[in-house]
Amino acid sequence: MAKKVVAVVKLQIPAGKATPAPPVGPALGPTGINIMNFCKEFNEKTASQAGLIIPVELTVYQDRSYTFVLKTPPASVLLKKAAGIEKGSGEPNKNKVGKVTRKDIREIAELKMKDLNAASLEAAMRMIEGTARSMGIIVVD
Amino acid sequence: MKWMEIKVKTSTEAIEAIANIFYEAGAAGVVIEDPKDLLNRDKDAWDYVEIPEGIDFEQAMVTGYLPESEKMNELLQEISRRISELPKFGLDLGSGEMEISFVEESNWADAWKAYYQTVHVGEKLVIKPSWLDYEPKTGEVVIELDPGMAFGTGTHETTVMCLELLEKYVRKGQTVIDVGCGSGILSIAAAKLGAKKVLAIDKDEVAVKVARENIERNGMGQTVEVIKGEGLKGVEIKADIIVANIIADVIIDLAFPAVTTLKENGLFISSGIIQSKKDAVRRALEGAGFIVTEEVEKGDWVGLVSCKNVKGQ
Repeated sequence: MAKKVVAVVKLQIPAGKATPAPPVGPALGPTGINIMNFCKEFNEKTASQAGLIIPVELTVYQDRSYTFVLKTPPASVLLKKAAGIEKGSGEPNKNKVGKVTRKDIREIAELKMKDLNAASLEAAMRMIEGTARSMGIIVVD
Repeated sequence: MKWMEIKVKTSTEAIEAIANIFYEAGAAGVVIEDPKDLLNRDKDAWDYVEIPEGIDFEQAMVTGYLPESEKMNELLQEISRRISELPKFGLDLGSGEMEISFVEESNWADAWKAYYQTVHVGEKLVIKPSWLDYEPKTGEVVIELDPGMAFGTGTHETTVMCLELLEKYVRKGQTVIDVGCGSGILSIAAAKLGAKKVLAIDKDEVAVKVARENIERNGMGQTVEVIKGEGLKGVEIKADIIVANIIADVIIDLAFPAVTTLKENGLFISSGIIQSKKDAVRRALEGAGFIVTEEVEKGDWVGLVSCKNVKGQ
């Protein structure tokens, strides 16, 4: 049907554990969509990835119906995986907690390219590299 | 329970880094608003977006929530410090401005219900959400429908027009095909208005699932069959009425298959047609051999009723 989009909302929330608590409730409340219905559908689709944070993009239509698509994992999750660490550094300037190669950065940028709103692959790589360094991950050639 | 809401104005480039800072501070998730999403959407012909005027495409926002606790202020300082350091790592922070406010725990799970009321359409159709009681008057036809995934909650102008037209034209014992059934609302209406058999078709798997649930909830599972399909492809039955509430371009493509699938004197009820494309749709319908017998409009939208044969008038 002639679906008129009234809102696009992007959330990053834990797989299988969406509830109406923040950030879901305050973010979706104003759109008037059925929040419990969304949580149920999201949890069903992501149950197998429990423990991960999953980005999701909701499109809300004029009649308050909606659809959603799951996106590629957050850059920080992919970077921690590539560096083989559990957590980033709280003092990224002083304490380096891991390293990734430029090839890793490129691979992550390519994987996430379609979800990043980056103007070019170079811009996406700059974004991923900056994110890595902000977590105390060193980028090596 | 109270939550601290922290909104950070930033650029697209720093979104992922800021989200990570929130996670490491213990936030259960973040909300990301990036106006560039409106520009970079898949150009899906089924949607259209009105870009708000005066929007700043360079300004994105990441919002995180921390539950009220003794450590809350300490965490806020930590988040604030780490965000301000992002330019050191080669990221464009944008304005980097932070807005802090508090959000009271509220009944988010049910708040959306306030938007819905029982709606009357046409002479006797009533669409009601499941949590509201309604005592139908004699002759009224009640459809129970909760909003959710899939389009069609009975509040959109094009859906209302189709419901009114179905009410006017569906006769007892007829066969109706609903192309692009979405939530299934039109199929349920056709069945409740007396159709003997209704075939609901949608190309979207989610719509097929949601439509089946809605049809069961309304006790119409015996009458309405839902299938996944593209337009009228593969449909072998002949219908008295075909209803399609989609968009102009799809209606144009459906004109010929609709003629073939309709019985003599059958009607094609089409809507989802935006005013500016009305003439193109009319030409396509007439080109396929239809006589356009009725035109209705609401807001920017048009609904057309076409008859397969002049004798049908």
